[in-house]
Amino acid sequence: MILRAAVVALVAFMTLPTVVVIAVSFNPTAILSFPPAGFSLRWYENVLTYPQFQRAAVNSVVVTGGAVALALPVGTLAALALERGRLRGRSLWAAVLLSPLVVPGVAAGLGFLILAAALGLLRSRSVLIAAHVALVLPFVVRSVWVSVRNLDPALERAAASLGATPWRTFRRVTLPLLRPGLFAGLLFAVVVSLNEFVVSLFISNRVTEILPVAMFTYVVNYTDPTIAALSSLFILATFLVVWLADRYLDLGRVFLQH
Amino acid sequence: MRSGIVVTVVGALLAVSLLVPPARAQNPLVVSVWGGNWKDTVEKVVGKAFTAKTGIPVEYEVGGTIDRLAKARVAKGNPLVDLNFTTTHVARLYISDGLYEKLDMAKLPNTKEIAREALRSDFHVGSWAYVYTIVYRPDLVKEDITKWADLWKPSLKGKIAMPDFDPSHIITIAALMEGGNEVNWQKGEGRLKQLKDSVAAFYSTDAQSQDLMKTGQGPVQVMLSVNAYHLQEQGVPVKVVQPTDFPGVVGIDTMAIMAGTKKAEAAHQFINLALSKEIQTELVKALRAGPVNLGATVPASLRGQPGIFVSAAEWTERGYIMNDEARAKNLPAWREWFTANIVKK
Amino acid sequence: MKLLLLPAAAVLAVFAAALASLFRWSLLEFIPGSLQAGSLTLANFRAVLAAQYLGAIRDTVVLSALTTVCTLLGAYPVAYVLARTPSRRVRSALLVLTLAPFFTGAIVRTYAWVLVLGNTVVTWPVPMLFTERGVLVGLVHFSMPTMILILAAAISHIDPVYERAAASLGASPARVFRRVTLPLSLPGIVSGALIVFAWTLSAFPTPELLGGGKVKMIANVVKDLGLDSFNWPGAAAFAMLALALTLALLTAVGRVSAGRTP
Repeated sequence: MILRAAVVALVAFMTLPTVVVIAVSFNPTAILSFPPAGFSLRWYENVLTYPQFQRAAVNSVVVTGGAVALALPVGTLAALALERGRLRGRSLWAAVLLSPLVVPGVAAGLGFLILAAALGLLRSRSVLIAAHVALVLPFVVRSVWVSVRNLDPALERAAASLGATPWRTFRRVTLPLLRPGLFAGLLFAVVVSLNEFVVSLFISNRVTEILPVAMFTYVVNYTDPTIAALSSLFILATFLVVWLADRYLDLGRVFLQH
Repeated sequence: MRSGIVVTVVGALLAVSLLVPPARAQNPLVVSVWGGNWKDTVEKVVGKAFTAKTGIPVEYEVGGTIDRLAKARVAKGNPLVDLNFTTTHVARLYISDGLYEKLDMAKLPNTKEIAREALRSDFHVGSWAYVYTIVYRPDLVKEDITKWADLWKPSLKGKIAMPDFDPSHIITIAALMEGGNEVNWQKGEGRLKQLKDSVAAFYSTDAQSQDLMKTGQGPVQVMLSVNAYHLQEQGVPVKVVQPTDFPGVVGIDTMAIMAGTKKAEAAHQFINLALSKEIQTELVKALRAGPVNLGATVPASLRGQPGIFVSAAEWTERGYIMNDEARAKNLPAWREWFTANIVKK
Repeated sequence: MKLLLLPAAAVLAVFAAALASLFRWSLLEFIPGSLQAGSLTLANFRAVLAAQYLGAIRDTVVLSALTTVCTLLGAYPVAYVLARTPSRRVRSALLVLTLAPFFTGAIVRTYAWVLVLGNTVVTWPVPMLFTERGVLVGLVHFSMPTMILILAAAISHIDPVYERAAASLGASPARVFRRVTLPLSLPGIVSGALIVFAWTLSAFPTPELLGGGKVKMIANVVKDLGLDSFNWPGAAAFAMLALALTLALLTAVGRVSAGRTP
């Protein structure tokens, strides 16, 4: 069937760089060559022993965790308001909520840097987290909004008529029905935050530096496959997590509604 | 309850991120420097010796030339770093906003041993030098390139790569070719426009420049000599040209002390140590940059190479040193003109 | 209900404060060679109305629109199969393969494309690297996973009953798709398209590395002005101009699409 062939071709297109990255990570010499001229694990060793990566990884967990923890509830509430709030300037609000995406990273980075200095927060992680929440929010709002659109208010009304409090209705009826959007939002939030380096470059220093900034600093100065090795480790972790999640949670059920 | 655990974990993460300040070492000297090999070398060669001598630990803030400048600018008066490495013309920008402290020459006796050209101002002093010159792959470019004028040869169309962030070098050379210089650079405009189709790509980082050379996508480059020697070390066959018509354009990296720092004493000691014969000798070996201390020992393999000056005479003859202030002032206009006339398709 | 927007509004207010901190520079005179700014002036805005700056905005909008369309076309089939396939194995495989590019990170993915597009893996009939074509490929690849996930979530909300009903009434698969599936997935299409379009407008590493300095999108120009030239007034003025134009564009597109969703 044409559909099947198209999907295979498209997936191949999507996977090509992944394959290249993994292959390159095994190259024994300090050159990004494809196909690799041999097989070596030295870059993996470099990744795991590079002190900057270790510290940055911890910072990333903290910053991304904090940002996602804030962005998910904030974004969900916003999506509900957008769909059901009967707002007058809805398109404008929608555009405004999307706007952090449109702002060039350098502009936002410089702006946050100046703001942080004015507030005396140059040494703190709070500015990083605030910036990440803002950058991640559009994804959460959009993802959850899709699911909110498909929410049948009749279900919530039914729960209310059966005596459930608004909070209980929200927790037991609304939230589960929003699961696909929430899951997609969570995924985007984590991925975007873990990859964000342009804005973060300006508002982090050697102590608060997050992993993508450390990777960027490395890649700007060294031309060896170390970052390819780090990315391959990420990919491996993704495979494992998705495989485990699918085995024990049936991702299809969590993420896609039937 | 699963959701209860999730909420607790998330709450804990939030609390940690917002309330617990990140850990910091005890009272170190903080040095702002470029990342990668530059930081590694300063740490290994200067930092270690400094800590051994004074007992003061050294920490490094790493980043590009300009993002470190941006961070310094907003932290004015309350600097986050004590000592700053940058390029000599960018240092003028720091000075213009009072971000540097005047150097106490009495505390820097080793400055007596360095080349005159390395004493850049009352606020900053050179640490090492290099040139931007023509570097190419003889195995991919089957002809000899011996002078700047060769870059305009039609046979090199589509083979050249140049820095995107700073067109100073080629603009200056084109001006020199037309009897001008970096101050009245417009003289070279016509000559520059002829180069338009020759450029394959403009690189924005050291790494990208080396990549273009390694893969052969930019086999002829206006490149930093240090990066070229680095490539040679890695077995990439590149030739570094000492052009016969005009010299390579010199770059001097400099050290300075941030105004408002509480560690001025230690910073002066660090600078003086970095300027000493012994440390300079080590820096040459590690970086393959040229020393500023005229008494430093340069290995035979590097003697006479572009960017390595071993005597006062070589400083004058074998490199073209641009006027710092003119360069800092003209750079934005250069970039705008360059983007509109050379980079744009 | 409207109060639910308050937290989001607070977050955006912080973001706006950050932007304002930069934008106030746009009214100050730029003094080349100095970090000090001069007095109040409108000269920066006049300067960024030059052809090379407006051209960059136009090029960015065009490239982003192209990227959105191509991504949509490429993502829909994959999203459809992901949402509809009865096989758990196929779904897991597709999910993993869709997510993997996400985790290679922007920088590395772009470097991989530098390798692939640069005639080292395959020789291309037309030059791909350092051209707009190459940047387009990179941008589309970057956006595919996002679009696939949003579309798949949207398609999964469509009750297959509708499609089966249409088929049982005699509609061909193509007709079912065109008259049932596609319209019902429109909210997802609009969401995905808006996100991809908006995000691509501010794309940075892809044009920076794959463009070789020759493809300048808005974000690259902001970096050129704000960093390499250290012209904060100019960068601020340009960023403001670009932001105003792109936000107006987004609002217009949003309004049009809002009118079309059932």
